[in-house]
Amino acid sequence: MRPILLSGHERALTQVKYNPDGDIIFSVSKDHVVCAWYSHNGERLGTYHGHQGALWTVDVDPTSTLLATGGADNTMRLWEVKSGKLLKTWDFATSIKRVEFSADGKQLLGVTEKRSGHLGMIYVYEINPDVEAQQSDEHVLRIVCEDSKPTVAGFSYLAHYIIAGHEDGSVSQFDAKNGELLYNTQVHEADALITDLQWSQDRTYFITASKDKTAKISAADSLEVLKTYVADTPLNSAAITPVKDYVILGGGQAAMDVTTTSARQGKFEARFYHKIFMEEIGRVRGHFGPLNYVAVHPQGTGYCSGGEDGYVRVHHFDKGYFDFMYEVERERAQEQANL
Amino acid sequence: QDQAKKNTANKAVIEERQRMLTEWLEFRKSMREMLEEEGAEIELNNGKVIREEDGEVEEIE
Repeated sequence: MRPILLSGHERALTQVKYNPDGDIIFSVSKDHVVCAWYSHNGERLGTYHGHQGALWTVDVDPTSTLLATGGADNTMRLWEVKSGKLLKTWDFATSIKRVEFSADGKQLLGVTEKRSGHLGMIYVYEINPDVEAQQSDEHVLRIVCEDSKPTVAGFSYLAHYIIAGHEDGSVSQFDAKNGELLYNTQVHEADALITDLQWSQDRTYFITASKDKTAKISAADSLEVLKTYVADTPLNSAAITPVKDYVILGGGQAAMDVTTTSARQGKFEARFYHKIFMEEIGRVRGHFGPLNYVAVHPQGTGYCSGGEDGYVRVHHFDKGYFDFMYEVERERAQEQANL
Repeated sequence: QDQAKKNTANKAVIEERQRMLTEWLEFRKSMREMLEEEGAEIELNNGKVIREEDGEVEEIE
């Protein structure tokens, strides 16, 4: 099926997210504007105005009621999805690089940028799901990362842990109740920035993408690396597909980092790997610049990518995608069916 | 002889895939059991929040 091109942003996309039903896509860009789109036809549903700088991050709560955003204006903001009304602004000393709700939507975390005099930190707020309610000014937790700045973070299953990816390629596991560092391990190459962290649907494992040209799946409780996907370009994003056992990787070298600007040279393709067997099974071309983010439809029916080229491309998976199976998977499925 | 070599190689690849598949399914099973013990409703519902109205099933005679 032909991809749908969402053109409305004037600058590079930084993050794209589906709502839990998968009917709406939220996108943020360096152009300061948050957009909402219908995923089935690409029609723009609305915009959220207020941020005064580049936007880095967006997340939607599990009931599609609240939207959280963060950016270079040193604020994290909470919006009502339906009306576009700004409900809350939290101010910080530096930019907000990542926001994420817990699975129940009752907590929201924000990762702040490290800058002279300020360490990278993770702030956690309790969220009242009622749009009429007053949201708390005070964080319930603040994690200071002294060794290496956090670039991405999220809540594990039951919000037991906060898992963070760092600038130095390591991953940390914090107790999400008291912020204590439980474990830190070098998942990616030393000093290879972790660019993305996305969860499996049950949040027992997650995938990290890195500038070291690999993506890895690790277990949330043990932090053991379970799978490694080797690409041929620095990665900006990695997503786990439900329904089928695949992962989707996105990246590419920025024009200023390569000698030619041809799409092939830049490797601006979404790459599909088999999640369990770790082999590349396909690529999707289309963007004219690096893929900054890939997100999968929560029901596993499609994916979208946000590019440095300013476009969001929405793809609906076709039959071949769902039918594809390795022989050993087919045999196993047959055995299960015969039980 | 070449054919025999190839078959051995294929066999090794398939055995390795079988091992990876088994290992993955065991990991998933252990995680699901852990979530059940912990009563992780949202996580076991593929990350979707269970809403009151979803649980009510209207019976039509």
